Amino acid sequence: MISQKKASYLLIAALFALGVLMPFVIKKYQLNMLTEIIVFALYAVSYNLLLGYAGLLSFGHAMFFGMGAFTVAVSLIHIPGLSMWNAVLLALVMTTAVGFITGGFLLRHKGAYFALLTLAFNSLFYAVATKWHKITGGDDGLSITRPDLHLGFTTVKMAGLTNFYYVTLVVIGAVIVFCWYFTKTAMGQTVLLMRENEERMKFLGYDTNISRLILFTFTGALAGLAGAFYTLHFQFVSQSAISVDMTTTVLLMTFVGGTGTFWGPILGAFVYIIVQNYLSDITDRWPLFMGLIFIVMVLLIPGGISQIILAIRGLFSGKGGRDKPVAAEESPS
Amino acid sequence: MSEVSVFFLHGLAYAGLLFLVSAGLTLVFGMMNVLNFAHAAMYMLGAYFSFSLLQATGQFWLCLLICPLLLFIIGALVERFLLRRVHVYGHLHELLLTFGLAYIITELVKWIWGNFPQAVNLGGFLGGTVELFGIIYPVYRIFIFVCAVFVGTAMALILYKTRLGIILRAAVNDNEMVNALGFNVPLVFTGVFAFGAALSGLAGVIAGPLLTTYPGMAHEILIDAFVVIVVGGFGSLGGAVVASLLIGELQSFGVLLFPKLSLALVYMLMAAVLIIKPSGLFGEKQ
Repeated sequence: MISQKKASYLLIAALFALGVLMPFVIKKYQLNMLTEIIVFALYAVSYNLLLGYAGLLSFGHAMFFGMGAFTVAVSLIHIPGLSMWNAVLLALVMTTAVGFITGGFLLRHKGAYFALLTLAFNSLFYAVATKWHKITGGDDGLSITRPDLHLGFTTVKMAGLTNFYYVTLVVIGAVIVFCWYFTKTAMGQTVLLMRENEERMKFLGYDTNISRLILFTFTGALAGLAGAFYTLHFQFVSQSAISVDMTTTVLLMTFVGGTGTFWGPILGAFVYIIVQNYLSDITDRWPLFMGLIFIVMVLLIPGGISQIILAIRGLFSGKGGRDKPVAAEESPS
Repeated sequence: MSEVSVFFLHGLAYAGLLFLVSAGLTLVFGMMNVLNFAHAAMYMLGAYFSFSLLQATGQFWLCLLICPLLLFIIGALVERFLLRRVHVYGHLHELLLTFGLAYIITELVKWIWGNFPQAVNLGGFLGGTVELFGIIYPVYRIFIFVCAVFVGTAMALILYKTRLGIILRAAVNDNEMVNALGFNVPLVFTGVFAFGAALSGLAGVIAGPLLTTYPGMAHEILIDAFVVIVVGGFGSLGGAVVASLLIGELQSFGVLLFPKLSLALVYMLMAAVLIIKPSGLFGEKQ
């Protein structure tokens, strides 16, 4: 028998191998979609660290995503010769700083208050992005060209999609694995326990406010990284990247996939983007159907697709009770 | 001088509208502890219902009567069949549900009425102007303020002077006890939510002729209403009055004094309140 841990490592390796093979198998249009899925998977994973693990419902996650997206675009336009790494690094620094500062304000509140304030802050960022036409391009958005990647010994052309897909796969994939590792560390477990019983954690000597701030900043930086790759992927960014719709998107992905497991949101991003692509071919009203799917899930399957999968697996293996979701649904209100 | 008073009156009119929107929001939040993200979407629904009804009948008074009633029914249905079902899952799910509802309502509105602004034109007395202390001023803006004062007074009277108000406030404190005393608390909560929806509908009808009716109007007012609630204090009616006036005037004079910063002023006020008194001006300590 292989242990649970080993099985996880094998699964990750298999997924990477599959990812490496994909460009040979699928068409360019689908590869485009796959790159988008990987980027949004990180965005959804970062959101789930807040929602599923810490029980913090934020309606302002797009401000980090958008901040990362705009930082890359603006820095690539205004600093000539800037390498891709440095642009991404700048985005990370910016979103970390923003996460730390806004977190200080926002985390004074919990539950509904927190949700409301994040929405208000997101709107502030959106307003700035719309009005500050000189830097952000306002309604017109910003177009960039992906810079080539210098690896020291060789230069990789980034103009084509396939090369960029590999960079995305390796970088974002590694970061997602790191997130998974993070949830297993003492810090990650602290976050979980804090949601379950904050009083007791305080009693045990943990400073829950600091832990929450660290988590918030961390997830902000992750969303910023996703945003940075979003800009690099589309070679375009507009204020929609920082709008509340972008938060709605990640909320839908995370929730459809399921907040109860680590991999749920990744699955959610996958399903969401594919369903969206097909629905938008059939009807212009796809957001309406997305909304209906969301409501039905909230009412009937609060654990999302991962809940269904776990239930099916439980049926087959006959040990339904074994795989308790890592991050159970409710937060104590 | 006259310019200043005109902007002051503009501020009062917007404050009136803000109060009408945030009163329902804060009522539902204070009573049921549900932050209704769909509130502004319902407000938009009210505005669009009124737009269609006005086109069909031409009677604005009829809109003022019927649209809140329609929203009352919608609110009651939402509470009874959707919100109550997720209540057991806790706070997070209630928020998610109302958020999803807002999303669906917005999409439905785009589908039915189109994704472009609709102008509502008022004829008759309300559409005219009146001379007030030497300034010619639109009647309608004064009407909004009067409406807000009327609604605010009525709410305060019901909450603090009637038997119904006592039951409501008691149910907030200890709903099991009130239930045990023989009052139908779930029905009371349905009523509160429906009343909140009706208020949002009324605000929507009133907003129609003042602002344009378009699918983005919900989000626009939602943020301002949220700021009102944060500044005034969560669930406090008196706080909503003061904060509405503050923000209404701030927006109005902000445009006059610092046109570029007018938008940021509101957020700056919110940030200042959050730093100095996180529970809001009139909020109780959480």
